[in-house]
Amino acid sequence: MAVTVRIPTPLRRLTQNLAEVETEGANIESIIENLEANYPGMKERLCDDGGNIRRFVNIYLNDEDIRFLDGKATPVTDGAEISIIPAIAGGKN
Amino acid sequence: MILHADAKEFVRPCRNVQNELHRDDAVAYPRDARTAYLIHPDDLIAVHKEAETQHRPMKAFYHSHPNHEAYFSEKDKADAMAWGEPIYPDVAYLVISIFGETCEPKIAMEKHSTELRVVKAYAWDETTTDFIEVPIQIANKQI
Repeated sequence: MAVTVRIPTPLRRLTQNLAEVETEGANIESIIENLEANYPGMKERLCDDGGNIRRFVNIYLNDEDIRFLDGKATPVTDGAEISIIPAIAGGKN
Repeated sequence: MILHADAKEFVRPCRNVQNELHRDDAVAYPRDARTAYLIHPDDLIAVHKEAETQHRPMKAFYHSHPNHEAYFSEKDKADAMAWGEPIYPDVAYLVISIFGETCEPKIAMEKHSTELRVVKAYAWDETTTDFIEVPIQIANKQI
Protein backbone atom coordinates (compact mmCIF):
# COMPACT_ATOMS: atom_id res chain seq x y z
CA MET A 1 0.00 0.00 0.00
CA ALA A 2 2.18 2.86 -1.28
CA VAL A 3 1.68 6.41 -0.09
CA THR A 4 3.51 9.67 -0.67
CA VAL A 5 4.79 11.61 2.31
CA ARG A 6 5.74 15.27 2.03
CA ILE A 7 8.70 16.10 4.22
CA PRO A 8 9.19 19.56 5.79
CA THR A 9 12.48 21.38 5.18
CA PRO A 10 14.06 20.72 8.60
CA LEU A 11 13.57 16.95 8.25
CA ARG A 12 15.00 16.64 4.76
CA ARG A 13 18.48 15.99 6.05
CA LEU A 14 17.06 12.62 7.13
CA THR A 15 15.70 11.93 3.65
CA GLN A 16 18.79 12.89 1.66
CA ASN A 17 17.09 16.22 0.92
CA LEU A 18 14.04 14.61 -0.65
CA ALA A 19 10.89 16.72 -0.30
CA GLU A 20 8.69 13.67 -0.95
CA VAL A 21 9.23 10.04 -0.13
CA GLU A 22 7.25 6.91 -0.83
CA THR A 23 6.47 4.48 1.92
CA GLU A 24 3.87 1.95 2.96
CA GLY A 25 1.51 1.35 5.84
CA ALA A 26 -2.10 0.66 6.69
CA ASN A 27 -2.41 3.56 9.10
CA ILE A 28 -0.49 6.63 10.23
CA GLU A 29 1.28 4.74 13.00
CA SER A 30 2.67 2.14 10.62
CA ILE A 31 3.62 4.88 8.18
CA ILE A 32 5.70 6.52 10.92
CA GLU A 33 7.31 3.17 11.77
CA ASN A 34 8.21 2.60 8.12
CA LEU A 35 9.57 6.13 7.81
CA GLU A 36 11.73 5.41 10.84
CA ALA A 37 12.98 2.16 9.27
CA ASN A 38 14.01 3.99 6.10
CA TYR A 39 15.05 7.29 7.63
CA PRO A 40 16.30 6.71 11.18
CA GLY A 41 15.56 9.55 13.56
CA MET A 42 12.23 10.39 11.96
CA LYS A 43 10.07 8.88 14.68
CA GLU A 44 11.66 10.73 17.59
CA ARG A 45 11.19 13.96 15.74
CA LEU A 46 7.53 13.30 15.06
CA CYS A 47 6.57 11.62 18.33
CA ASP A 48 7.29 12.28 21.98
CA ASP A 49 8.59 9.70 24.48
CA GLY A 50 5.04 8.44 25.00
CA GLY A 51 4.66 7.78 21.30
CA ASN A 52 2.20 10.61 20.81
CA ILE A 53 2.59 12.93 17.86
CA ARG A 54 4.29 16.09 19.07
CA ARG A 55 2.00 19.05 19.60
CA PHE A 56 3.76 21.27 17.08
CA VAL A 57 3.68 18.60 14.35
CA ASN A 58 0.68 18.60 12.03
CA ILE A 59 0.13 15.48 9.97
CA TYR A 60 -2.44 15.63 7.20
CA LEU A 61 -3.96 12.76 5.29
CA ASN A 62 -5.14 14.09 1.94
CA ASP A 63 -5.35 17.59 3.47
CA GLU A 64 -7.28 16.44 6.56
CA ASP A 65 -5.62 16.99 9.92
CA ILE A 66 -5.38 13.52 11.47
CA ARG A 67 -6.25 15.00 14.90
CA PHE A 68 -9.77 15.35 13.53
CA LEU A 69 -9.74 11.86 12.05
CA ASP A 70 -8.48 9.01 14.20
CA GLY A 71 -5.02 10.22 15.12
CA LYS A 72 -2.26 7.66 14.63
CA ALA A 73 -4.89 4.96 14.07
CA THR A 74 -6.24 6.78 11.01
CA PRO A 75 -6.41 4.23 8.19
CA VAL A 76 -4.48 5.03 5.03
CA THR A 77 -5.44 3.87 1.58
CA ASP A 78 -3.23 3.14 -1.40
CA GLY A 79 -2.12 6.29 -3.19
CA ALA A 80 -2.82 8.60 -0.26
CA GLU A 81 -0.87 11.79 0.25
CA ILE A 82 0.45 12.55 3.69
CA SER A 83 1.89 15.94 4.59
CA ILE A 84 4.00 16.68 7.65
CA ILE A 85 3.87 20.39 8.42
CA PRO A 86 5.22 21.96 11.60
CA ALA A 87 2.87 24.47 13.22
CA ILE A 88 3.34 28.19 12.74
CA ALA A 89 3.09 29.87 16.10
CA GLY A 90 4.60 32.51 18.31
CA GLY A 91 3.83 35.17 20.82
CA LYS A 92 5.03 37.63 23.39
CA ASN A 93 7.81 36.74 25.81
CA MET B 1 0.62 34.63 5.30
CA ILE B 2 1.97 36.23 2.14
CA LEU B 3 2.69 34.25 -1.01
CA HIS B 4 4.29 35.64 -4.12
CA ALA B 5 4.68 34.94 -7.82
CA ASP B 6 5.52 37.04 -10.86
CA ALA B 7 6.11 40.17 -8.77
CA LYS B 8 2.63 39.87 -7.25
CA GLU B 9 1.88 39.21 -3.63
CA PHE B 10 -1.04 37.22 -2.30
CA VAL B 11 -2.11 37.90 1.27
CA ARG B 12 -3.85 35.02 3.01
CA PRO B 13 -5.26 35.86 6.44
CA CYS B 14 -5.23 32.83 8.74
CA ARG B 15 -7.18 32.09 11.87
CA ASN B 16 -5.52 32.10 15.26
CA VAL B 17 -6.77 29.12 17.30
CA GLN B 18 -5.03 30.14 20.52
CA ASN B 19 -8.24 31.26 22.28
CA GLU B 20 -9.95 27.95 21.56
CA LEU B 21 -6.95 25.95 22.76
CA HIS B 22 -6.69 28.04 25.92
CA ARG B 23 -10.41 27.68 26.61
CA ASP B 24 -10.29 23.89 26.16
CA ASP B 25 -7.03 23.22 28.04
CA ALA B 26 -5.59 26.14 29.97
CA VAL B 27 -2.88 23.95 31.47
CA ALA B 28 -1.43 22.85 28.14
CA TYR B 29 -2.13 26.26 26.59
CA PRO B 30 -1.79 28.89 29.33
CA ARG B 31 -1.79 31.81 26.87
CA ASP B 32 -4.74 33.18 24.97
CA ALA B 33 -4.69 35.14 21.73
CA ARG B 34 -3.66 38.35 23.49
CA THR B 35 -0.14 37.00 23.88
CA ALA B 36 0.19 34.04 21.52
CA TYR B 37 -0.87 32.69 18.19
CA LEU B 38 -1.13 29.33 16.51
CA ILE B 39 -2.30 29.21 12.93
CA HIS B 40 -5.34 27.03 12.32
CA PRO B 41 -4.15 23.70 10.85
CA ASP B 42 -6.72 23.94 8.04
CA ASP B 43 -5.43 27.35 7.01
CA LEU B 44 -1.86 26.09 7.19
CA ILE B 45 -2.45 23.20 4.79
CA ALA B 46 -4.54 25.41 2.50
CA VAL B 47 -1.70 27.91 2.12
CA HIS B 48 0.82 25.12 1.59
CA LYS B 49 -1.40 23.68 -1.13
CA GLU B 50 -1.79 27.04 -2.82
CA ALA B 51 1.95 27.63 -2.66
CA GLU B 52 2.59 24.27 -4.26
CA THR B 53 -0.17 24.01 -6.84
CA GLN B 54 -0.20 27.67 -7.91
CA HIS B 55 3.59 28.02 -7.79
CA ARG B 56 3.36 30.82 -5.26
CA PRO B 57 6.16 30.34 -2.76
CA MET B 58 5.66 31.62 0.76
CA LYS B 59 7.30 34.98 1.28
CA ALA B 60 6.32 36.08 4.78
CA PHE B 61 4.23 35.26 7.81
CA TYR B 62 2.76 38.17 9.72
CA HIS B 63 1.37 38.51 13.20
CA SER B 64 0.57 41.41 15.47
CA HIS B 65 1.68 42.29 18.97
CA PRO B 66 -1.42 43.97 20.40
CA ASN B 67 -0.47 46.81 22.71
CA HIS B 68 3.21 45.87 22.57
CA GLU B 69 6.20 46.90 20.56
CA ALA B 70 7.27 45.00 17.43
CA TYR B 71 10.07 42.59 18.19
CA PHE B 72 10.87 38.96 17.47
CA SER B 73 10.36 37.41 20.87
CA GLU B 74 12.11 34.39 22.26
CA LYS B 75 8.83 32.53 21.85
CA ASP B 76 8.61 33.65 18.23
CA LYS B 77 12.12 32.34 17.69
CA ALA B 78 11.51 29.09 19.53
CA ASP B 79 8.32 28.44 17.59
CA ALA B 80 10.04 29.24 14.30
CA MET B 81 12.48 26.40 14.94
CA ALA B 82 11.90 22.66 14.91
CA TRP B 83 14.41 19.96 15.62
CA GLY B 84 17.13 22.57 15.98
CA GLU B 85 16.60 24.13 12.56
CA PRO B 86 14.47 26.94 11.17
CA ILE B 87 11.19 25.55 9.86
CA TYR B 88 11.03 28.07 7.03
CA PRO B 89 14.56 29.39 6.44
CA ASP B 90 13.53 31.33 3.33
CA VAL B 91 10.41 33.00 4.71
CA ALA B 92 10.39 36.31 6.61
CA TYR B 93 8.38 36.93 9.75
CA LEU B 94 6.62 40.30 9.96
CA VAL B 95 5.72 41.59 13.41
CA ILE B 96 3.20 44.40 13.59
CA SER B 97 2.86 46.60 16.63
CA ILE B 98 -0.67 47.88 17.14
CA PHE B 99 -2.00 49.84 20.07
CA GLY B 100 -5.59 50.58 20.93
CA GLU B 101 -8.77 49.84 22.76
CA THR B 102 -9.29 46.69 20.73
CA CYS B 103 -7.10 44.79 18.35
CA GLU B 104 -9.93 42.79 16.82
CA PRO B 105 -9.51 44.04 13.24
CA LYS B 106 -13.16 44.57 12.29
CA ILE B 107 -14.06 46.48 15.45
CA ALA B 108 -10.83 48.45 15.35
CA MET B 109 -11.56 49.61 11.81
CA GLU B 110 -15.10 50.63 12.71
CA LYS B 111 -14.06 52.53 15.80
CA HIS B 112 -10.88 53.97 14.32
CA SER B 113 -9.40 53.31 17.69
CA THR B 114 -6.36 51.27 16.82
CA GLU B 115 -3.02 52.67 15.77
CA LEU B 116 -0.55 50.67 13.72
CA ARG B 117 2.79 51.86 15.05
CA VAL B 118 5.50 49.88 13.34
CA VAL B 119 6.17 46.81 11.24
CA LYS B 120 9.44 44.95 11.52
CA ALA B 121 10.70 41.94 9.57
CA TYR B 122 12.92 39.11 10.71
CA ALA B 123 14.55 36.31 8.77
CA TRP B 124 16.92 33.44 9.36
CA ASP B 125 20.58 34.32 9.01
CA GLU B 126 22.90 31.41 8.24
CA THR B 127 26.00 33.31 9.37
CA THR B 128 24.80 33.98 12.89
CA THR B 129 22.43 30.99 12.92
CA ASP B 130 19.78 33.24 14.37
CA PHE B 131 16.84 35.34 13.27
CA ILE B 132 17.85 38.91 12.54
CA GLU B 133 15.92 42.04 11.63
CA VAL B 134 15.90 42.65 7.89
CA PRO B 135 14.76 45.69 5.89
CA ILE B 136 11.29 45.84 4.37
CA GLN B 137 10.93 47.15 0.85
CA ILE B 138 7.57 48.37 -0.43
CA ALA B 139 7.29 49.45 -4.07
CA ASN B 140 10.84 50.71 -4.30
CA LYS B 141 10.69 52.42 -0.93
CA GLN B 142 12.70 51.16 1.96
CA ILE B 143 11.30 51.51 5.47
